[in-house]
Parts: sequence; structure tokens; C-alpha cells
Amino acid sequence: MSPDHVLVVDDERDFVEILAERLRSRGLEVTCATSGREAISAVEEQIFDAVLLDLAMPDLDGLETLRRLHEIQPDLQVMILSGRATVKTAVEAIRRGATDIFEKPTDVETLVERIRSARATRIAHEDDMAEEHIDEILKRRGW
Amino acid sequence: MGSDDHRLLQREGVLFFGNVIAGLSHELSNVFNIINEMAGLQQDIVGGAQPGSTDTADRLFELAGRIKAQVERGETYNRYLHKLAHSVDDTGIAFDLGETLELVSSLAARPARLARVELVMQPPEQPVTLEGDPFAFVLMIYGSIGAVLSAADSERRVEVGAAAHDQAVRITITSADSLPADVIDESAAALRIGRAAWGMVHTLDRRPDAHDSVILDLPVVAPGPHATADDEGQEDPDVT
Repeated sequence: MSPDHVLVVDDERDFVEILAERLRSRGLEVTCATSGREAISAVEEQIFDAVLLDLAMPDLDGLETLRRLHEIQPDLQVMILSGRATVKTAVEAIRRGATDIFEKPTDVETLVERIRSARATRIAHEDDMAEEHIDEILKRRGW
Repeated sequence: MGSDDHRLLQREGVLFFGNVIAGLSHELSNVFNIINEMAGLQQDIVGGAQPGSTDTADRLFELAGRIKAQVERGETYNRYLHKLAHSVDDTGIAFDLGETLELVSSLAARPARLARVELVMQPPEQPVTLEGDPFAFVLMIYGSIGAVLSAADSERRVEVGAAAHDQAVRITITSADSLPADVIDESAAALRIGRAAWGMVHTLDRRPDAHDSVILDLPVVAPGPHATADDEGQEDPDVT
């Protein structure tokens, strides 16, 4: 089985690089992005089990990036990783489909655990979709 | 400065402090978060290292250098906070124009970065000493830069320059984009404070080549408290 693939998005390059190294040392495949636009390009080109997304970024902020990521991949598991996740932004992020919110600093083991669980959720969702698709074909053909 | 202008200075001052401190607090949090991850990585490396490994020692040494760089970054933010806090100590003191402009452009660096605008400060060629209220000066320049940043397109450049001539100083905030006529309205409060505290006169210089500027002219020695429109009982035409 391929390793869990996570996209880490934060405009602080040092933060992204170091967190990526720590996640890789725990067996994850990590892609880094330092802006919302880079994150969108990455999701257009690759499949991710989860995205760790900062809220405060230049160009596109985290919430707008979240919205656009879900336009590309509606079932994408996006977790907000923020320095100052206020209740208001947290509620808005969940409303826009974020699956989790972590306030920095976050324990890396907790992140790894949630990323692995996100992969399981994604695979289960894909299985459900495949099952629905098969049911539809069977019904259509009258089997 | 008249009582209306003084109240405006106090109100705008509180808003400015809130805005700047929120930004610096965020930057300091970023520094702490990076250091926290670096410390975590050091623990990971030491935990998984072979005894006596030179690779491990080299990596720890490299990380220590990056931690020091972050500490220096944090110290810089702390220095800005310190200077800002003391800018309200006196209202009639001599201070250096170049140093103060550098402080303002440093404080405006975060809003500029979030707007994806490159903010460049060109200090005056010769040292210039201003005399008056440094906090009102900071507020006037920060508010004017903020209005130009809001009007500028992203990924463009905004340049702040200063030049002294005769007994006056000209501060120019130039945008690589054309500026709308109402850019002045965006910084109405800052400009009013500038007029009241500094006898500043502003102009919007719009050019066909699209390098528009907000120009602030002020005397090197700040006018006394009787030079404001408020004190003379006149309506301020630029403030609605």
C-alpha cells in the first residue's frame, strides 16, 4: 500500500519544510505549498489523503483556498492548522467542509493519527461511491 | 492641536495600535511555531540517531542556526513593539526621519505581504531631524501607506521615498498602479492628523504613465498648536 499522502499549506516556508520533514520521518508522503494558489495547483495534479491548511495567507486566505480545493475535489479531507483559530473562523471553516481544526502548536503524533484516519475516511467514501455506481449500473440493466 | 483633532488622534491611535499589535502578535506566533517544530525535529533526530553520527551533529548544527535566525526575527518584532510603545512618550521631541520611516514601513510590511504588494522604503539621502509629535507622524504615514496598499493591485510595488529641501520634507508614496481619486478619502483621518499636528499639505499626483503618488509636504519644524483648521474655527474640506 502506498504511504498516506498529505499536502501541507502554510506561507511560512521554514514551518512547512520542518513539519514536512517530521511527517516524512513518520512514513508519510508530503507535498508542500506556501500559498493558496500553489495548493490548488497541487490538488489539480495529485491525489491527497489530507490537506493541512493555514488560515492566514497572502493571495488567497485559508477559507477561500478551502472553498476552491473542494470545487476541485469535493471529498478532500482538509484540516485547518492555524495560529489563531477563532471560534468564528473555526465555525466558518467547518461550514465550508473542513474536517478538523488544530491550533498551533500541535502535537505531530496527533496530526499523523488524524491524517491516517482521513485516508481511511477517503477510502471508505470511495468504496461507497463505487458501490453506488455499481448499484446504478445493475438497476439500469435490470439485473 | 484642537480638541477635535486630539480626540481623532486618540481614536485613530487606538485603532492603529490594535491593528499593528495584532499583526506583530501573529508574526511572533509564527516564530514560536517554527522554533517549536525545529525543537521537535531535533528531538526526532536525536531519538533516531546512531551513536557518534557526524551526520546527526551536522544536522543539529544546521537546525541551531535556523533557530537563531528565528530568534533574531522575533527580536526584530519585539524591537518594533518597543519603539512603537515609546513613540507616544513625548509630543514635542526631535527624531530622525529615516529611522521613523523605517519603523513605519516595517510595521506596514505585514499588511503589504498579505496584499501581495512589495513595499519598498527609500530613506532620505541625508539625515533629517524632525521636531514634533512622532506618534502623529507615524500614524499619518502608516494611514497613507495603508490607503495606497488598499488601492494597489496585487503583485505590484509601492515605494515610500523622502527628500528634504529648504525647510520642508516631502514624503512620496508611489504606486506602480494608477491610484483612484478617492484614495485620499481612505486615509482622511491620517491626513487630518498630519495637517493638525504637522501642518502637512497633501497632494494626489496622478500621471498618464500610471505611477501615481500621494505626496505629503511638511515643514521640518512642526507648527505650533495654533496652526490647525480646528483652532481657527474652520471646516475641514477633506473630511466628511
